[in-house]
Amino acid sequence: MIIPLLKVTNLSKSYDNIVGCKNISMSLYPGEVLGIVGESGSGKTTLINCLSGNLEPDRGKIIFNINNKETDFLNISESEKRKFIRTDLAFVHQNPRDGLRLNVSAGGNIGEKLMSVGYRHYGNIRSLATKWVNKVEIDKSRIDDLPITFSGGMLQRLQIAKNLITSPNVIFMDEPTGGLDVSVQARVLDLIRSLVNELNLTVIIVSHDLAVIRLLADKMIVMKNGTVIESGLSDQVLEDPQQEYTQLLVSSVLQV
Amino acid sequence: MIEVKKVNKSFTLFNQNNAKITVFKNLNFEVNPGEIVALKGPSGIGKSSILKMIYGSYIIDKGAIIINNKNIATLSAQEILKLRKTSIGYVSQFLKVIPRISALDVIMEPLLNSGDNKNNAYKKSIKLLKDLNIEKNLWHLSPLTFSGGEQQRINIARGFIKDLPYLLLDEPTASLDSRNRDIIINLIKAKSNRGVSIIGIFHDEYSRKKLNVREIDLNIETKH
Repeated sequence: MIIPLLKVTNLSKSYDNIVGCKNISMSLYPGEVLGIVGESGSGKTTLINCLSGNLEPDRGKIIFNINNKETDFLNISESEKRKFIRTDLAFVHQNPRDGLRLNVSAGGNIGEKLMSVGYRHYGNIRSLATKWVNKVEIDKSRIDDLPITFSGGMLQRLQIAKNLITSPNVIFMDEPTGGLDVSVQARVLDLIRSLVNELNLTVIIVSHDLAVIRLLADKMIVMKNGTVIESGLSDQVLEDPQQEYTQLLVSSVLQV
Repeated sequence: MIEVKKVNKSFTLFNQNNAKITVFKNLNFEVNPGEIVALKGPSGIGKSSILKMIYGSYIIDKGAIIINNKNIATLSAQEILKLRKTSIGYVSQFLKVIPRISALDVIMEPLLNSGDNKNNAYKKSIKLLKDLNIEKNLWHLSPLTFSGGEQQRINIARGFIKDLPYLLLDEPTASLDSRNRDIIINLIKAKSNRGVSIIGIFHDEYSRKKLNVREIDLNIETKH
């Protein structure tokens, strides 16, 4: 029996009287990509913010099991938690400007991340950064340029490089292709997908775009009013949805 | 062996006045190693639904489908993912891929995902592309720009590239000319000779005859 990399039990978070997410339970196994879908306000972002340590949930349990080491995420000290987030988790924001420092060079953004997990040797940092800039298809001649000079798609690819360079164990992505135009979207999707396969990444991805979930996610959950109303294999949930709301969601997608 | 035991399947369409469509009641059949079973019956009777239930993309309402001593109806999502990776190949009617990925990469992907090395995956994929009569100048292009018949052959290549004990084929010979159809028929035969259990939907009599299939007539099997 494989142990889940992440096990969530009865997780709840409210904002005063407003429900963010309620009684969420789920498991994620190594190498799996989990998609979270649901309309605006359904609690998707609240959920991944709780799981990634950006928000403190009111109740519930979050257990990570990485290399046979169990971490009770909500019951460790603040300093242990910060270290865990730095070394084991990564967060790709919808808007790359939220995940990058725009007044620091592209290479500097990546180097900073490496230094945060203990890299000190400039040559090593530089060569790893160059390798990753290349991996996300940014010309290495741009490594010393400021991100302000980058296009939206390049910024998103830079943010992905910055997040993956330290080999985190779980990567959270909040609408990673949301703000990009369609042709750039395909390129970023293709990049995420090939990195997921090549590096056997474990990913939780939030998207309102069912096509993105279909192409990237192995499993998915559907959220409504803060709760999970349906979950399963992505192709099963999309092709044979069992809940009224999921059927509505799936049948509302426009066909090209 | 694949065993389908007392399977029921229906769909409830909540957004269309809760209409309930019953597809099967008490469906039973089995497929032995090396055997090719063809599902027969008019459009809409549920041929594709059977393949999707075996593959786990449709829920099995009642009954069991046994593969490798495992009941698909009760497996968890990650158990089904694992079973697909190690045992079940599925060729759908239509190719679904990300734009921009080349035909060669689309075919190599299942091998790379199960840990095969790049060089080996490359060689196997090139051979299959040649066997399938796909022109060399197409190999590095996205299949989304290909003709229907070419896309279908890429889809078949992706489903056939691994040596898996079970194969589900949804109209693999549908939009092909006679020469390419014969190529596919020979590939299917080769799989069957190696002991693969195959369930397919073949729209034409010619393919069914050539493949020497055992037919399962859903009109008779699913009388309800």
